[in-house]
Amino acid sequence: MSHEQIALIEAILFVSKDPLEPGRIMDFLQITDMEEFEKILQTMGKEHLLDRPERGLLLKKSGGGLQLVTKPELHDSLKDFFTIKQVTKLTLASLETLSIVAYRQPATLAEISDLRGVNSTETVKNLLQKKLIKITGRKKVPGLPALYATTQEFLIYFGLNDMSELPSLEELTELFEEKEQPSLFK
Amino acid sequence: METPAYQVQTDFFEGPLDLLLHLIRKNKLNINEIRLSEITSEYLAYLENKKGINPSRESDFLTTAATLIYIKSRSLLPKPESLTEESPEKQLLNTLIEYEKIQKISKMLQDMEYTERLLWRRLELNENFSNREYTLTEVSAFQLAEIFFSVVKKKENEQFLYVSSKNYSIAAKQVEISVLVKENGFLDFSAYVNKLDSIEEILVSFFTLLEMIKRHLLIALQESLFGTISLYPNEPSELSN
Repeated sequence: MSHEQIALIEAILFVSKDPLEPGRIMDFLQITDMEEFEKILQTMGKEHLLDRPERGLLLKKSGGGLQLVTKPELHDSLKDFFTIKQVTKLTLASLETLSIVAYRQPATLAEISDLRGVNSTETVKNLLQKKLIKITGRKKVPGLPALYATTQEFLIYFGLNDMSELPSLEELTELFEEKEQPSLFK
Repeated sequence: METPAYQVQTDFFEGPLDLLLHLIRKNKLNINEIRLSEITSEYLAYLENKKGINPSRESDFLTTAATLIYIKSRSLLPKPESLTEESPEKQLLNTLIEYEKIQKISKMLQDMEYTERLLWRRLELNENFSNREYTLTEVSAFQLAEIFFSVVKKKENEQFLYVSSKNYSIAAKQVEISVLVKENGFLDFSAYVNKLDSIEEILVSFFTLLEMIKRHLLIALQESLFGTISLYPNEPSELSN
């Protein structure tokens, strides 16, 4: 591992606007050993960025790709500097719809609306426009309704590398039960 | 119409299920043992006072109100010996249990969103995070027809200099359109229709397009709402990304 390699990776990631596939950088640097590459990233991310208070960036893996992002503690100052009043966030309606699509994909609009008890046409349209969900096909039932699934953008937006990083439904039930236990004994 | 994505709504219940869960929690009832008839009147009171009811979703609240009243009326009638089908109460309760999970997953996603939003990426400032790529959405036959009629309207006012006696066939048109799409990679729907000489040709072209879309030879995509509609060859490899 050399300083030049780290410098080059940093430069590539600085210029790139989307998360970059680690494989592409490995090929370019002619590194074949995954472990060696991981070690370089480890050094770069921790020693050169995270552990240094004078640096404002972090190395992050999201959507399976590498990306430079700013440190979370700088969020408020960045907001002030760029005079951003409100950071856009998803509505509850959008979050509910995403929850359903994420855990039941592929899901149809009718299934989403049924589970939410609310007509979800607009929300689904919104999420399609935001690219957080996509149409993966059509369900083989009368009317051939579109089937929706989450996208790469979804992973990046929520800081996930792949869908397996979301807790499974069983794990979720356990998590919730643990959290709720105290209230049962009140 | 639902709440637009940018609007933060905290004063309203997200929907009838949200309100029902709120009532169950408020009365410290257990979702697995509750009898829905117990909270029906309370639910109806909320609906009557319009307390926390998003006016644009009132119909959804009313649908559930009807179900609740139905459940209550059923509970007053003598029950048949054996119930083969699932009772509407059981159904609604199952939906509620599922919805409770969804609410919790939503909360989890919201927390994740919060942590992620603290990290800024390149391009974050480009007006809209979601504008990074063209959002191509599939166009429905209705939208296609709408554009078609607006073009025909325009053509109606045009004076045709001479009457052509050419006959158009769908088969021939299909070959022509296929070639155009292959050459350019896509076909701008309005531009193409505008170029045509006669209403007859426009009609035949439109039927051909519908036929080709139906047979999955083409796919109609639109970059944005009210944007131009383009026709792309329907290749599964392009759709799947």
